[in-house]
This record gives sequence, C-alpha cells and structure tokens, in this order.
Amino acid sequence: MTMEHLLTIAVLLPLAAAFLAFLFPADNPKAIRALAIAATGVSLGLILTIFAHFDRAQSGYQFVYGIDWLPSLNCRLKFGVDGISMTLLLLVGFISFAGTLISSEIHDRQKEYYILFLALTTGIMGTFATMDLFFFYFFYELAVIPMYLLIGVWGSLPPGKHGRTKEYATMKLTLYLTAGAVLALIGLLTIYYAGGRTMDIPTLTQNLRVDPPTQKWVFACLLFGFGFLASMWPFHTWSPMGYAAAPTAASMMHAGVLKKLGAYGIIRLALPLLPAGARQWANLIAVLACFNILYAGWAALRQRDWKFVIGYSSVSHMGYVLLGIASLNVIGVSGAVLLMFAHGMMAALTFSLIGFFYHQTHNRYVLELSGLARQIPFVGTCMVMAVMASCGVPGTANFASEVLVFFGAWSQGSQVFHVATICAVWGFVVTATYLLWAVRQSFFGPFDKKWSMLKDATTPWKRFPYVLLLSGLLVVGFYPRVLIDIIRPSVEATIINRLDAADDNNAAAAAPAINTVER
Amino acid sequence: MGLYAIQFDVVLALLAVLTLLGDAFNVFRDKRRLGYGLAVVVGLLLLYSFTPWVRAQEDTVFHGMYRFDAFALFFKRLFLMAVVFVLVMTAEFSKRIETGAAEFYSLLLFCGTGMLLIASVNDFILLFVSLELVTISFYVLASYLRRQLASLEAGTKYLVLGALSSGFTVYGIAYIFGTTGTTNFDTLAALLAQHGAPGHAFTFGLLLVLMGLGFKISSVPFQFWTPDVYQGAPTPVTAFLAVGSKTAGFALVLRVFFAGLLPVQATWAAVLLVLAALTLLYGNLGAIPQRNIKRLLGYSSIGHAGYMLMGLAAVNWLGIGAVLFYLGQYMFTVLCAFLAIVAVSNVTGSDEIPSFSGLGKRSPVLGLALFLSMMSLAGVPPLSGFFGKFQLFAAVIERASTDPRYYVLALIGAAAVVVSLYFYLGVGRAIYLQEAEDASPIPVSGPMRLALVACMAGMIGLGVFQRPLVEAAINAAKVFALH
Repeated sequence: MTMEHLLTIAVLLPLAAAFLAFLFPADNPKAIRALAIAATGVSLGLILTIFAHFDRAQSGYQFVYGIDWLPSLNCRLKFGVDGISMTLLLLVGFISFAGTLISSEIHDRQKEYYILFLALTTGIMGTFATMDLFFFYFFYELAVIPMYLLIGVWGSLPPGKHGRTKEYATMKLTLYLTAGAVLALIGLLTIYYAGGRTMDIPTLTQNLRVDPPTQKWVFACLLFGFGFLASMWPFHTWSPMGYAAAPTAASMMHAGVLKKLGAYGIIRLALPLLPAGARQWANLIAVLACFNILYAGWAALRQRDWKFVIGYSSVSHMGYVLLGIASLNVIGVSGAVLLMFAHGMMAALTFSLIGFFYHQTHNRYVLELSGLARQIPFVGTCMVMAVMASCGVPGTANFASEVLVFFGAWSQGSQVFHVATICAVWGFVVTATYLLWAVRQSFFGPFDKKWSMLKDATTPWKRFPYVLLLSGLLVVGFYPRVLIDIIRPSVEATIINRLDAADDNNAAAAAPAINTVER
Repeated sequence: MGLYAIQFDVVLALLAVLTLLGDAFNVFRDKRRLGYGLAVVVGLLLLYSFTPWVRAQEDTVFHGMYRFDAFALFFKRLFLMAVVFVLVMTAEFSKRIETGAAEFYSLLLFCGTGMLLIASVNDFILLFVSLELVTISFYVLASYLRRQLASLEAGTKYLVLGALSSGFTVYGIAYIFGTTGTTNFDTLAALLAQHGAPGHAFTFGLLLVLMGLGFKISSVPFQFWTPDVYQGAPTPVTAFLAVGSKTAGFALVLRVFFAGLLPVQATWAAVLLVLAALTLLYGNLGAIPQRNIKRLLGYSSIGHAGYMLMGLAAVNWLGIGAVLFYLGQYMFTVLCAFLAIVAVSNVTGSDEIPSFSGLGKRSPVLGLALFLSMMSLAGVPPLSGFFGKFQLFAAVIERASTDPRYYVLALIGAAAVVVSLYFYLGVGRAIYLQEAEDASPIPVSGPMRLALVACMAGMIGLGVFQRPLVEAAINAAKVFALH
C-alpha cells in the first residue's frame, strides 16, 4: 500500500463497512455502531494524513489512483484531489465522523440506519474525490436512496403552519434533487461527446473546446441542474423543510456537505469546462445569489422552529457561495470554496446542537424554549459560538471566507456586482437579526422550570463531536492560509486560466471581424 | 450443424411435451415440486449455454429463416433465465391454480420455446409463426384462473387486441412481400440497399409491422391492454409478460428494423422518436394515480418500453448496446419485484399498494427486494437500472449532436425519470415508512429466498460491475451492419 492508494481507501472504506454491517446480526446494534464509528474515524484519519502530505506547491491533482472500469465508455474509476476537493473532503470527513458519533440518539432499526449513513458518506466522498465524469454522476446520485430513507424513517417533522408530514418533505427533497441531477446529466453527456468521448475530468478541462452558443445552453443545464442541490433560488424550497424533517445526522450531512455538492459541481465542471458560458450567465447567478441571501434571510426571520431557522439560514448562506462563484475571479471563487468549508462545519455544528436538546425536550420552537443556557451551559456556549460563526464574526472561518467573497464580487467591477455585494453585506444584518434573536429567546432570558430535566454533555466523549467541529471552524478562522494556500493555486489553474484562455479566444475571433469592417 | 443451432429450442420444446405426457400418465403428484424440478432442468440448460461448448458462431438453418449468432445467443440466455425464474414463481403460486398445474407449466415452456425461436428470427414467415406461438400461449395463460373474473377479462382483452395486432403484422408483411418479393431479412436488406425504398405501399407495410410489434413491447398506440392484463392475469403470467414478452418484442424490432429494414432507416427513425416520446409520457404519467401494484407495474412497463425505444430511435451502436443491457438488467429487476409480490399476496391475498405497508418489518428480505427493484426501475445507483438509463441517455445525446430534435426526447426522458421516481417511491414509502395494520411476519420459502437473493445480486452486481453485460451486449450488437 503506497500513498496513492490512501485516497481510494478513505473513500471506499465507509461503503465497505456498510457491506460488512449488512452481515452483522441486527440484534447487536452496539457492534454495528462501533463499526460505523471506526470506519468514519479511520476515513477521517486517512483524509487528515492525505492533507498533511498534500504538496502545497502544486496546483494539480495528487494521490491519483485509477483502474479501467468500462472501456466502451472510456470510463475509469479514478480518484485524486486538488486543493478544492481536498478542502471539501476534509469537510465531509469531519462531518461524517461527528455525525456517526452523535447518532447515539437513534434507537430504532440501528443496523439499517448505519448502513445507509455509511453509504451516503461514500457517495459524497466519492463525488468530491473522483476524476471521472461517469463516477461523478454515479456518486452524486448515490445519495438519493439513503437520504430518502434516513429522513422518511428516522426523521421527525413537528406539525406547523406548513401542514406537511416528513413523508412529504422527504419526497419533495428527493424529487427536486433528481430533477436537478437528470438536467445536469444531459449537459454532462453533451460535454462527454464534445470532448471526444472521454470521461476524464482533467483531460476535459485541458482539451474541451465548445463554441460559445452551445456553451451557453450546456452551462444552463449544469447551472440549474446543480443549482437544485445548491438550493439556488427559486429551487430552494425543498431545503428548509427537508432539514427540518431529517434526523440530526442526516441534517448535518445534508446542510453540511450534500448541498455543497451542487456548488462543487458548478466549480469543478461548469466553470472550467464552459468558461464562455460562465461569462454569459455570471450576472444572472449574482442576481439569484442576492435573492438567496435576502429572500431566504427574510423567510428565516419569520420561522419559529429552530430547524427551519437554520434551514433558511443555510439557503441564505449558499447565496454567498453562489456570489463568490459568479465573480469569476481568484479571490471570489477561492472565497466560495472556503465558505463551503466554513458554512458546512457551522451548519453541521448547529444542527447537531439542535439535535442534542431536541432529543431531550422533543420541542424545538424558539419561543417555547427559554433560558436553556443555565441548564445546559456547554451546549449553550457551543450554540453561541456557532451562531457567531454564522454571523461572520472575525476569528471564525466564516469571516475569512465571506470577506474574500465580498472582495471578489466587488472587484469584479460591474454595476450588477456592486449592487449584489451591497445586498450581500446587508444580508449580514438580516442573519444577525434572526440568529441572535433565536439564541436570546431559547438560551437566555428567564429559565423555564419545565426544562430542568435537561442534561448537558458532560463527559469528554459526548463533547468530542461538538469540539471537533468547533475547533475546525476556529483553526481555519485564525489561520485561513491553512486552506487558502491550497485552494488558490487550484482555482487559478483549473478555472481562472481557462476563463482567460476563453476570453483570449473570443478576442482573437472578434478581432478579424473588426478589421474587415474597417476595411 | 443445423441441430447445433437449434439445440436450445428443441430441448425446451421436448421438455414441454414431456411435461404434458407425464401429466397424462399422472406422474406428477406435487405441483410445487414439478415447478422446482422444471426450473432446475431449464437452469441447467442456461448454465450449459455459458459453457465453452456453446459458441456463437454464425449459422443459418431452414433456408436462411433461422439464424444463430451472438445476438440470438444473448437473447436465448435471457429467455432461459426468464423461464427459470417464472417457473420458481409459478411453483410458489401453484396452490392458487385449481386445476391443470402441469398444463400451466407446459404452456409456459411452449411460450418459452416461441421466445427462443424469436431470438433467431431471420424471416417474416418464422417471425409470424414464433410470435403466434408466444401470443397464443399467453391467451390461455392470462385467463388461467378461470373462476376469477379479472383473469378472464385479462385473457379476453389480450386475445382481442392481440388478434388485432397480429392482423396488422400479417397485413404489413404482405405489403412488404408484395413490394419487394422477399420475406428474408438478409435478402430484403440487400435489395433495399441497392434500390432504396420501393414506394409508399412499402412504407405503409413497414409501419403496420411496427404497430404490430408495438403490441408486444406495449408501446403507444398499442399499449391499452397492458395495465388491465397485468392486473388481471395470474402474477407469474404477468411477470412472464413483463420480462419475456417484452424482451421478445424488442428482439423482433431489432431483427426486423436493424437487420432487414436498416437501409431505409430514414423512414422509421423519426417514427420511433415520436413513439418513444409518447410512450414515455403515457406510461409514466398514467402510473401516478395507480393503487394496485400490478397495474402500476403495467404502466411502468409501458414507461420502460419508452426508455428502450429512446435507445432504438437513436439508431447507433451505443443505442442497441444500451437496449440489450437494459433488457438484461430489466429481467432481474422486474422478476425480483414480481417474486416479492407473489410471496406477499400469497399471505395477504391483495395486490393493493397499502397491503405492502410495513413490509420492511414483516419480512426484511421481501421488503428489501421489492424496494430495491422499485429503485432499480426508477434508475437510482448503485442499482442496474441506473446504468441502463445512463447508457440510453448517452445514446440519445450522441445522436442529438447531429440532430437537435433528440435533445427534446432526452428532456422528455429526463422528466419521465423524475415522475417515475415519485410513484416508485410511493411503493417504497409503503414498505419502509408506513406501519402495517397486521404486523405478522410473512414466511419466505427456501427456493423463493434463493431466487430473490439471485435477483438482488443481479441488480446490485450489474449496477456496480457493469462490464460483463455491457461487453456481451456490444458483442451481440455487432451482428448489425450499422454504419
């Protein structure tokens, strides 16, 4: 076993554990849980090892390992990471491990639960790590069944004004995501044929040349296809309700990483492969991003269920990611990637904390909870820190990344982006309003006696998952270069160079035309 | 040499005759064991087809009417597999067959023989004969539960529409023969390549044949029988219709259009395009309000005919390979669903979707099998249906790069995938999300468990390790002289 196998092992380990768990007897849930923890833990360890050995001077793919899979389609099972996917792989490693740890609240049908959770983990890791178009789509779609069942079987959706059940929520989520996926599939297959029948993403990135009119509509397929999963306005409506209905670990995975798959698809495939298309759609993305930030923020102000608040908040934050992507410059796109990491950790942390008290209170209405910080100080502290991160307070990874996004968007220079940046900054105020309100209502203020039965996370083992996520946020917050240094070269190499090359081509194509007019 | 080519057909026909004879002399006491025994024999025949003694060297017999090649062998294996699983299913079902269980088995075997012949059809005469062998067996099989009105209705409906479609086929064959003077596909292809299409009468005949075959694959406009017959017929017969009859229909469409009529593809490719789109929409939209699972699978079967027509309409290598792959994996998927349905309705006596509530708890293996087959039908990884659809879409998009109309077809197909996920998940919801009123466990017999595990292994295996079947399909597709 050499270094290049590490990545493949890290990705496939959870799936192997899922198969192994299938053979375990269902009446021994402890063993299955131990297996799941071990698998995600080792996987995280491997990812950290890869990160430690990651050559920071290099912008290309590292730890590449592949085998021929389907010669008829030129498809290879090939894994490799560059700075962008490394960052997101770290994210999914942390969250899947933390998610497995906090899943002790699950008591019903544990065997099936862990099998599905592990399969979901491999699906997401595989999408981030694969270098093959077919397997990108394969892993991307692999999340469908586990997500549907995790929410449908183990979820809970308290009755509210929406008048919906968890079955409705999970069906809606599944259908939206599939609709986006098949739309993206049409675009991906068009790229496959345009690129001379190769599924290899780096080769496509180097060689693909599509004429600008075709780029325009193929980019639209990918943008809206992946946009469904990235909860781009107006395709976001599955998201808050889906999170609200999901069990804690599934909310963490979904808000934390699954949603990032959509943005990752745009960054990894749509921007480098279709640079001219990206230029044509950039303004629209920026406008939609503003709708995400402000509309979802506004909707979050009206929510009374903690999970709905955070659900809308995560839709709102995806707006910043989209804005960074739309800026199409190094600072903005790097900021978007870093923000995906920061927001993923933050969202996972918040959902896990909500899960912690909801498991005991069976109530997550902001107004009915009061003074919880007195009874559960550790969870309260963590929640305040998570909320501060979400508001983009300096010292958290969110601050660093959001500032980059703003700089990137502003320096893009056009009026649309100036307005969009101003809207986005205003979005901070909205975010701070609903989050600080919610924390003040539930965690501070007069203590309600009926919550005196709440137990805090006291042992180090119980505190560990929260501390893990929080420390990730703080380390990157105080030293953003740990990630930015690897993100930036990759963004430059794969995206910005391609954009510049496309612009040069356009200029070259346009120049003779002008000359003939002059003659 | 000739006997080598027709060995499978002969053995299966002999087996059918022996079953009839044995019944006449009252040899078979236990109708269940008879089914398992026959399944073992056909299973051995299937295994034999994979041994090195069986090679797909090209050979024609009966004056070029019958053709043995890689394509024929591919389909013969599929049909043998279908017969094995349907025999197991019938054995499980047999306590509901009041009289004549042995005749039921022998009819199944005769029907299977017809399908084996269809795999090798190279002439319109043999096409009609083998097609009628299959269809007439199905008339009887569909109405076998003669005390049940639904079963009788199914048989009658199948008879009336089947006869009509047979009429169309013969009428069309007559036109083609009248305008070209030949019924042999090879001669026909050579003639058409040399002289082009001989006028409107020929095109009319071609369309009539397409309509007639459309009945077998349940494509628009001959799809109306499907939901009713699927619902009313005994479940093993429904399963056989869904996998055997449909596969046979596609084998015929491929033989007729991609071997005999390939030179005039300009006349029929556009027709297939429209039929594919309409079939996709009819099947998938029609399935939404269904409450009976067999009826739902009837509509779903129309929908899947639509997906596969997409691959045919693309008229390229990838499309044929994709259709062959799809048919192969479809067999595991649909058989898995029907096996589970038989096992459940043996206990509950109902095919309504609510009667599957809480199946995941009542019988984990049945619940998992039915759920996985629904997800494979919906085309979700890591199941085989996903890769089947992926290839079909790839074929359509390949064609679309030269003909943008195909992008519309791809979009309709994409919409159909989303719609279908909704109603397949409706079954999934009953299995895992809803609680059963009667939570008593459902027993699963040993052979049934074995068959279910085999089907699930097939679905997951082909979904992850697609290569063996893809290569077999490409190999079989090579018999067509496309581009």
